[in-house]
Amino acid sequence: MTDTGIVNISSFNKLKKSKNIKIKAIIKNLSVFYSDKCAVDNVSMNINAREVTAMIGPSGCGKSTFIRCLNRMNDVIENCTVKGSILIDGYDIYHPKIDEVKLRSQIGMVFQKPNPFPKSIYDNVAYGPRLHGIATKKNDLDNIVEESLTKAGLFKEVKDRLNDTAIGLSGGQQQRLCIARTISISPSIILMDEPCSALDPIATAVIEELIENLKKSYTILIVTHNMQQAARVSEKTAFFHLGKLIEFGDTKTIFTNPREKQTLGYITGRYG
Amino acid sequence: MYVVIAILLFSFYGFYLGKKKSANLVSNKVSELHSTPIYHGYYIFLWCFVPSLIVLISWQVLDNYLIKSLVLNLVPGFETLDKGNINFVFEKIKTMATQETIDPFFYDEQLIPASKKYNWLTKISNITLFTVILSFLAIVLVYVKNKIQAEFTARVYVEKFIKTILFMCSVVAIFTTLGIVLSLLLESLRFFQSVSIFDFLFGTHWSPQIAIREDQVGSSGAFGSVPVLAGTLLITLIAMTVSVPVGLFSAIYLSDYAPRKVRTIMKPLLEILAGIPTVVYGFFAALTIGPFLRKFGESMGLDIVSESALAAGLVMGIMIIPFISSLSDDVINAVPQELKDGSYALGATKSETMVRVILPAALPGIIGSILLAVSRAIGETMIVVMAAGMSARLTANPFEAVTTVTVQIVTLLVGDQEFDNPKTLAAFALGLQLFLLTLFLNLFALKIVQKYREKYE
Repeated sequence: MTDTGIVNISSFNKLKKSKNIKIKAIIKNLSVFYSDKCAVDNVSMNINAREVTAMIGPSGCGKSTFIRCLNRMNDVIENCTVKGSILIDGYDIYHPKIDEVKLRSQIGMVFQKPNPFPKSIYDNVAYGPRLHGIATKKNDLDNIVEESLTKAGLFKEVKDRLNDTAIGLSGGQQQRLCIARTISISPSIILMDEPCSALDPIATAVIEELIENLKKSYTILIVTHNMQQAARVSEKTAFFHLGKLIEFGDTKTIFTNPREKQTLGYITGRYG
Repeated sequence: MYVVIAILLFSFYGFYLGKKKSANLVSNKVSELHSTPIYHGYYIFLWCFVPSLIVLISWQVLDNYLIKSLVLNLVPGFETLDKGNINFVFEKIKTMATQETIDPFFYDEQLIPASKKYNWLTKISNITLFTVILSFLAIVLVYVKNKIQAEFTARVYVEKFIKTILFMCSVVAIFTTLGIVLSLLLESLRFFQSVSIFDFLFGTHWSPQIAIREDQVGSSGAFGSVPVLAGTLLITLIAMTVSVPVGLFSAIYLSDYAPRKVRTIMKPLLEILAGIPTVVYGFFAALTIGPFLRKFGESMGLDIVSESALAAGLVMGIMIIPFISSLSDDVINAVPQELKDGSYALGATKSETMVRVILPAALPGIIGSILLAVSRAIGETMIVVMAAGMSARLTANPFEAVTTVTVQIVTLLVGDQEFDNPKTLAAFALGLQLFLLTLFLNLFALKIVQKYREKYE
């Protein structure tokens, strides 16, 4: 992060050492309100680096709102207030001195509906690097585009038509393009808000495989409605209900031996 | 009058009948019908209403014409009357026939047989019309009623009828436009018979005088449209310089920067500008802005006349701001939130997102709004009549008085004019020129949009 807004770095380091794990983010007593409506209610959890953390729960349970807090996308929404704190690498991202625009360049996000810009495939991936002045020479930019597309597993399919419009790609390709666009500015965390909900099973499988590869270098938070998907791709799972974090733990435990009755009800489909 | 009431009564009765009968056919088990009862009702209603309305209207047109010719034959010395007098005589006959008391101005002994004939003919005509329509309605009711069966596809027919009505409405608009263009074209051709097209298009001298006597001084008018067209373009350019930035920036502010509360107040306020009559803008330009600019110019050492292109252009620019801001605001708002989110999530600021993502995606709509504004500016008349002056001078200096195509059309056609000399016909040529100008502008913009458009769906 920036060198301003250092908050609690010492306690963060202590925690990191004491637990002897690779903690990426600490969320503490996070609550989100839309006007008066409470969407996320007092959630605390730790996110490990280079792991996939899945958020599951019924629609409207606040899981999307929750991950949108991590790159402060909720700032865009009027009447939305966030309470509590989120530390990423020891920096309080809601500290007044933290610039949310800068923050978002470090924390990428992939959305539910593939949203490539109505530009060429090349320009889509080059958008972020150009914006932040990462690559000034044409050659460097070409390399970044190729590298990002390769990492997103899309380069082979589109290398002959980089200048075609991205809108002509299939849904699955568009979503992988969005992932390439996200990693083009090398964020440290990637947030995925139901990235496969608009895709068919084959495209979903491709994306899941991609997530498997990406987690070697990125910390990933994924919101999903698909329980099998959460079980397949994630190390940790968090179950949300009515804005509350009901249960959070190893994916294996959550899916085989959940502590809470509500969790069991949801994962076995006997919800409600 | 009675006929209309009869038609309406029959039609509504037909509607009721269709509804009732179809429901009774299946003893109110509506699911056994092909179409729900209300469609059977509409079906009969349309069969009663539409044809009788057509008969009624065409009857009125024809019978007026027929009666007139029949009656006028009875007028002594009819062959010697000219067109204006014929109409006057016919009015006389009508008044004599319909009024109980005798109006001395409209009374003429010679016309008594004609007025009697008029009375008789109208009566006959009305009775015939009434019988024809009533019998038609009766036949329709009996015949169409029998058509109603459980499997009768009334809904399909009604939908077809709706489609036809919609189609005809769009055709009306197209044919009206075609008619206008054609009349412009024909009158312009007449104009070009007396003035060469080359002189009109490239001549730099505009002074549309036509001599009344052969030996008058300056008897040959000059019809070079270049100074007039240049005036139009100059004022349009000034107007666009004001309205495009202001309109576009306010649209951007309203759609993406303004808090919702500000937006709900500001947008209607801006649209009020569009509701001010242009004549009000006109005297605002002529009485306030013009003198202000002259005084301002004096203090700066500039020579600005009271009726300047600048004053007219500025006020016109203000007038068309809402066209640009309101339409652009709508298209900017129509850009999906996902695209904006995608850009924000990559660490783009609001202005970066606006310039790189939203504006390219909204480009066709924005160009469209600007075009609409240009067309408005080119065609605007009142402001320039009042504030831009009349002198057809070829100049690019906005501080001078200029004249525009629309102003010239107005001055050519004001007052009693005969449409047989180049002076009045020139108005049509100017109109055609204006029309072609906006048409090509539209085509040009369409091409631009197709080339640079970033299509998001």
